[in-house]
Order: sequence, then structure tokens, then C-alpha cells
Amino acid sequence: MTGPLIGVATVFRRELATVVRTPGYGVLAVGLLAAVGGLLAAGGGGATGFVPAIVDLLLPTEALVPLAAVVLGYRSLLADGASGELAVIRTYPVRVGEYVAGVLLARTVALVGVVGAPYAAVGVGVWLTAAPDTGIFATHTGIDSPLLYLRFLAFVLLLGAAYVSLAAAVSALAANRRSAIALGVLALVAGVLGGDLLLLRSLGAGASPATIPGSLALTPNGAFRGLVFEHVIGVAFAPEGEFIATGRAVGSLVGWTLLGAVVAGTALAYGSQVDAAIERVRSGIGD
Amino acid sequence: MAVSDPYGDPSRALWIALGVLLLVAVVATAGAFAADPEAAAPSPVPYDDVVELGLSSETDALMTGSARIPRTQVFYSQLQYVVGYNGVESFAAALEDGQTERQFGYPIAAYVETFDDARPETTETGLFESESGGEWTPAAAALYVVESDARSPAGETIVPFRERGAAEAFAADHGGRVVDWETVRRLSFDTDSAATVRAMAPARWDAADGRIAAAERRADRPVSVVVGEDAPTIGAAVAAAPPNTTVVVPTGTYDETLTVNESVTVAGEGARIRGDGNGSVITVRAPDVAITGITVAGSGGQTRDPEAARAGREREGESEVWDTNIQLGYGHGDAGIRAIGAPGLVVDDVTVEANASGILLREGSHAVIRDLRVNGTEEWQDGFMGITGMQSRVTVTDSRFEGGRDGIYLHRADGSVVRNSTFADNRYGVHLMYTSDALLADNAFRDELYAGITVMTRPSGNAIVGNDVRNSSAGVQASGTRAYIGYNTLVGNELGFSTSSRGSLYERNVAANNDLGARATTVVPSSRVVANDFVGNAEHATAGAGALRVWADGDRGNYWEGANVGPHDPGERAYRPTSPVDGALHRHVAAVAVRESPAVALLDRLRGTVPGARSGSIIDPAPAAAPYSPDRLDAALAPNAGPARADWRTELADQRGDRDEDAAMNARHRNATGGGIGPETKRVAAETASAGAGARTSVIDAHTAATEGAADA
Repeated sequence: MTGPLIGVATVFRRELATVVRTPGYGVLAVGLLAAVGGLLAAGGGGATGFVPAIVDLLLPTEALVPLAAVVLGYRSLLADGASGELAVIRTYPVRVGEYVAGVLLARTVALVGVVGAPYAAVGVGVWLTAAPDTGIFATHTGIDSPLLYLRFLAFVLLLGAAYVSLAAAVSALAANRRSAIALGVLALVAGVLGGDLLLLRSLGAGASPATIPGSLALTPNGAFRGLVFEHVIGVAFAPEGEFIATGRAVGSLVGWTLLGAVVAGTALAYGSQVDAAIERVRSGIGD
Repeated sequence: MAVSDPYGDPSRALWIALGVLLLVAVVATAGAFAADPEAAAPSPVPYDDVVELGLSSETDALMTGSARIPRTQVFYSQLQYVVGYNGVESFAAALEDGQTERQFGYPIAAYVETFDDARPETTETGLFESESGGEWTPAAAALYVVESDARSPAGETIVPFRERGAAEAFAADHGGRVVDWETVRRLSFDTDSAATVRAMAPARWDAADGRIAAAERRADRPVSVVVGEDAPTIGAAVAAAPPNTTVVVPTGTYDETLTVNESVTVAGEGARIRGDGNGSVITVRAPDVAITGITVAGSGGQTRDPEAARAGREREGESEVWDTNIQLGYGHGDAGIRAIGAPGLVVDDVTVEANASGILLREGSHAVIRDLRVNGTEEWQDGFMGITGMQSRVTVTDSRFEGGRDGIYLHRADGSVVRNSTFADNRYGVHLMYTSDALLADNAFRDELYAGITVMTRPSGNAIVGNDVRNSSAGVQASGTRAYIGYNTLVGNELGFSTSSRGSLYERNVAANNDLGARATTVVPSSRVVANDFVGNAEHATAGAGALRVWADGDRGNYWEGANVGPHDPGERAYRPTSPVDGALHRHVAAVAVRESPAVALLDRLRGTVPGARSGSIIDPAPAAAPYSPDRLDAALAPNAGPARADWRTELADQRGDRDEDAAMNARHRNATGGGIGPETKRVAAETASAGAGARTSVIDAHTAATEGAADA
């Protein structure tokens, strides 16, 4: 392995150890499983197949997955900085970029466990239990297959990764735990509601509906919703029209992930200089 | 340990395991996107296992010969059940119809029955026939002969073939041309629907008026013989009277049984004819006989004739044993008045004290019956039907049926009309078997043991309108296709009505104070249930097995008491009578607080998406703010009020030529009766028995189905 990879791997393993030793994340996973499983049981969609199950889960997922991702990410970079460990780590030959990459990778793996595992468990549950109401007549599965659920799971994780990365950026910008929570909630609300509100506003201001597939893809939630409609639920409808520009939506989700990482890295690398600059300005004003 | 000690070097095995896991995850995910879920077309299934929609295969013409309708089976993307259509044109029409796609998705596979090796021919009457069943061929790959001389009971029929040679050979023999599937889809088909039946209901009423008026004229004949003056007995008087004259029977009691072999009117003046307790009292064997103003009593108590059934079975072979049993057995019991092959019978102002049937009509004894009173036995098992009509079209008005088995039992009696009559304490009030295109209107039913109106087998085009059923086990239970069930008032029954009929229209019914307002039965929903009022029922509606039922027509739903309780505008929130929360809204205010919870609100939002893939419930996306029929609702709820009356004839006359969205579900089908009881019983039993909370009534259904079959075996 070459130099940077060793740095990333070391940070990754350290961060993973932190995650594994945080019991709260286990509780989060169990809570998510209860919420998702409960919604499905109450909604009844899971009793017949994957597509109605996904229809029941789509809306709650748009709130639950970003929430879980923010919980996983909002302190990831802040904690080391606040405790002074980051300063210690910086004395080793680990660059800021390697450090951020390692932390984010570990948190993303944690996301796979905390979010992916409950959704996968629910999917297996649907697979085992979904059946027609009566066996008197011949039945078939229609357009319904575990593959569709696997697609849904992939989109869920893409959405979660974007939010983990954005939450990490928030945690790098925050000065302390309280502001990290505040900023995290802000990012959550802005992500879950803000993008669609902006889209609504632009449509209200006269934007052409023809731009929806493109503009919907710009926000993480819009991109996720569009992808699920296009590649999962929409498959059961007549195959015509386009819910979203697929390439653009995937690019957007990956882009938000990278953006979060870059912002986090920049904040860590230049944060102290910015702080110093601010301090200088402030003391200058004070004079 | 490797997991808890991330600083130690992981073992080689762990690395490999992790690598494999990652690889599997990547490949599986990539595979999920690369694979096309539409690619795997399901294989055809045995036709007995499909859920049939549209045209019925149970016509006399088809059941009694080798005639066939080419069949289709379709796999829809959102529906777990395989749907069967009789007639390629039925399926093609369904594809044209937006409703089908909204409810079931698009067809992922469709197979048609092709007749290359089945020796396709036409019968003497032009019906399509073949020596054996066809083979299943994908619809898009088959070739179709259109505009040939092959017909189905519904009209022209398209005949599919697998190979061009076979298709061309058939076209050479029978005319027509060979086209592909795309061309068939572009053709338009002459279709009838439940909406057509609705539009025809007032016309059937008018036709009955015409028949009654004609009967009055027929019965009005000059007097030729007066019993007691010109002849000693009624029998002698009838024998002596010239055709087309009247035999007058003065007041008094006459102990005799007689046979009428001439077209005469027997006019009583309050006379009472008493039989000797054996056989029927009056037997009519001539056309255009009229019987008025008498009371008939003292018939034999034999309700049916097992000998006749056995003899008939031997004659016809073992096929259709069940139906043969009924026709021969039921048609050969004792009766107050019995008509055999006697069309044009008029019965007016007659009372029958029935030991078995009141009036028994057989072999085309089309009859007009007015002001008939049948007093049946106390226990239904002891007696028989008020009117038994076998292959005889009856027109009944202003009559009253009390006690006995069924008030009116009709068997292959297409086009019958029963109206303005009263039924009480029967087993069933009106009971139709294999009887299509009938009108049952403005009747009142009270305290019926099993049901007010029941329609069994799969007839088509029946209209059940403006009836009032109270205090019975069930109000209206009508199976079949293309039925119109509207403007009925169903109060205080165990079950108001069931939606057992396919491709049908249920509207403007009032279900009040029943244990259960309505029950959705058919597994694959194909009917429209809209603008009904549900008030004061313990449960408004339940659903049996099958896909989600959407009970609305666009933004027009039903009125459900309780649906609009809570802080939102009426009609804004979808209502699900089958949900434990919504179902309690009209009985417990506290349910509102649960309903407003974010979790319930969240789940409510996406209901109705992919309806075909959801199971076992009912949703009304647009519950109405106010009852559709407030006057009848008041009449239903008022204590000691008489039967509620609906002005349906005026309202339906105004609606004529109205929209007709469900046309495609119901390709044209006239004169459909008949049916094989075998697979259908299985289905009816399954569909009714599976109706969740309606367990009690479904026991009755199952019981009834069993008795119908067993009692006559």
C-alpha cells in the first residue's frame, strides 16, 4: 500500500472502532428497524409484495434516512477537534484529506450497518411473508421482484451517504457540540424540505414543468425520490415518460457526497487560519 | 478479536471474506439494475384457475353444445391474479379502457387460445365450435380471423390461430380476413355495460306496463258459461266453453281439480277452489288462459319430483346434472296453479294457500301475474316457492308473498320483471338462477331468512332497482356480470348488499343500521361502487380476499357516516371502511385523535397507489360530504315508516346517454344464462367465505350453496 492509503486505512480503522464502541448506534439501528417494520406492518403493503412495500416506505424513508445519517455524522469530525485529538493526529504524517476520507469511509460503512441492515431485514421479511390472499386462483408476481427492492436499497444508501458527508461538513464547521446539533438539524430540514420548496417556488415563478426531471435531480431528496419512481415503482406502471434524469440524479447524490467531503476537508485545513483571521478582525474592531 | 480490535492486523481469511462480501454486494446491486424485471414472461395457466372478467361463458348456446368462445388469459403488472376473458374482443376492449390500467397495471403477458389443430368449425346456428380446446399462444404472435361468419352468443367473434396457413384456411371456409394483433387492437368493438343496463331499466318497466295492459285486454272476454247454471263443475264449464270466452265462477267453495285445455278466462267472483291434497289444483295447458278473482287451496305437498329428475338425467347424460336436476325436479312439484307450455297466462286477483308452490310455470309459460297473494307454509322446509318459473318469462306486479321457501324462484327466465310486490318471512324473497336481463324493482322485503334478493350462477344484465329490504339476513346478494344495483334501501339486515357481481354498477343504495353495510367479494375488482349512503351500520363495509377495491368514480365517492369527522374539509381525506381506525369513526369519537396522528396520516397518503398489488381492503378516496339520498335515508331511519320509495325512473331517464367508462369490462352479451356449477361453486364459496368480518353471513352463504346443490342431488 502506498502512503496516503495507509493513512486513510489507519484513520478508517480507528473511526470504525469508535463507531463499534458507541452503543447508541446499535440502538439507532434497532429503532430504525422498529420504525420501518412497524410502518410496513401498519400500512399493509408488505403483505402483497415489494412494490407496495416500497410505496409505503418511500415517504418515511425520506425523513428517517437523512435523520439517521445526520446522527451518524454530526459529531464525526467535531469530536476529535474538540478533544484535541485532531491536533495530536496532525503530528503524525496524516494529511487532512486522508483524515477526512478515512472518517467518512468509516461513517459510511456504519451507515450500511445502521440503515442498510434494518432495510435489508425488512426486505427479507417481505420476501418470506408476501403472498396472495387466496390460493384458489392462479397467481403470479406481476412486476415485483427482490431485485426491485435491492435497487431501492441502493438508492437508500446513496441518499444516506450524501447526508453523512453533509453532516460531517457541518461537524467540521461547528465550534462545539451544541452548534453541531443546531447546524445538523438545519442541514436536515434544508435537505428534506428546502430543495422541494425551492423547486415549488421556481415552478410558481413560472419555470416550465419540462425542467422538473432536471431540477428535481439537484437536491438529494429530489434525486432519491425521482430515482425510486423511475427505477422501482415506475416499473410496475406503463413504461413511458421520465420521472427524472437518471444520470443527473446519481451524479447529484455523488456530488453532494463529494461536496460534503471537500467542505469538511477545507474547514479542517483552513479553519484555524480563518479563526485567526476572524480573531484579528475582531480585535481590530475592538481597538 | 478482529472486529473489536481494529488495530490488530486482520487475518487473511477475514480479508477474503470481506472482499467476497463486497464483491457479492456490488454484483448483486449491479445485477439488480442490469436485470429487467419485465423480461420473464409467465407461462400460461389452466383456464379453470383464472379470474374471469367480462363476457360470461355460461350461455345456453355454449353449455349445451360444442360451441366455444376463444379465450384469453392476461398477466397484469400489478395484479397477482391471472385474469381471463371470454372472447378476444373482451380483452382488446379492456386494453382500450383506462380504468383497467389504473387498477391492474399493464399486461406483461397475454395468451390467446389458438385453434390450428382443433378443427374449428361453426355450428348450424353459426356459433364458433371446435372439436377440442385450443392451445395457448402469446397474443402478439397469433394471427386473427376477423369478420368471418363465426359468431359467439354476443355477436361476431374473432378466431385466433398460431400459423398463417391455418388462419387462411379458416378464412377461406368462413370468410373474413387474417390480421395481426396490432390490427385487432385498433378495431373498435360494440360493447354493452352495466351503464347500458342502467339506461334500460326504465324501458323494462315500460315493457312490463305494456305486457300488463295486453294481459288485461286478453283476459277481457265475453261470458259463455256460468258455473252452477250452465255446467255443474268448473272443469265441465271450462270443457264446454268455446275458445276466447269467459267462464264465470260465482261465489262459493268448489271441491275439484281441473285442467284448462282451451284459451279461456276463468273469472271468479270471490270463489274458492279446493283441491283434494294430491297434485296441482288447476293445470293450464293452453296458451292465453286467464284466471282471475279466485282463491286456490288444497294442492298436494310434493315440492319436486325426483322421478322426473332421474329420467331426465338418463336422457341427457351425466353432464350438467345439477342444472338438470333443478329444471326437472323443481319444475315437477305440486302447485295451486300449474302451467305447462302455456304462454300468455294471466293471473289477476288470485290468492293461493300454498302447500308446495303457489304458481308453477314450465316450458315457456310466459305469464303476467298481478295482485297475487301466496300464503306459504310456516316453515320454509315444508313448502315451496310462491312462484316457480322454469324457462318462463314472468311479469309480476302488486303481489304479496308470505312464508314458504322462496317468494319467487326463476330459472332460465330471461327478461322477467318483478315489481311493486311485498315479500315476508320467506327463505329468499326473490331468487334468480341462470336468469338474465331481468328487472326487480320497487319491491319490499321483510324478515327474510336468508336474503331479500339473491342472484346465483353468472347471468348478465340484471337490474335490481328501488327495492327496500329490512330485518333480513341479507339485503341484495347478486352474482353475475354487468348488473345494475341501484336505489335500493337496505335497513336493519345482517348484511346490506354484497358486490358479488362483476363489471357491475352499485349506486345510490342506502345501507342503514345493518350489522354490515356492504361486503366486497369478487377477488379481482371490476365493478363501480359509488354514491351509496352508509349510515348507522355496526360496520360499514368489509372486504374478502383480493386486490384493493377503490370505491369511487373519479372524485365522486360514497357517503360514509363518520368519514368526515375531524379537522379537515369534507371529502379531503380518503376513507377506508376496512381500517380499524376509520371503521370506528362513526361509533367512537376518540378514533379521530388516532386518525390525526402523523403515522396514520403518513400511511393514508400513499394508499391507492398500485391498487392491484394491495390486498384485502376498501378505499374511498373522495368520501361525500352529505348523503346522496337524504329523503330515503330519513325514511329508512324513521321508526315504523313504510318502504322507502326512490324516484329512479325519472332520474335514470335523465341520465340516458351518460358516460360509460366501464364499457370495456363488458363486451356485448345478450341472452346470457346458464352455467356449470362445478368450478363456479368453488369460487363463489371461496369469495364469500373469505369475507373477513362477515363470517356469520358467509356461513349462511356456504350453507345455502350447499343446500342448493345437495338438496336436489
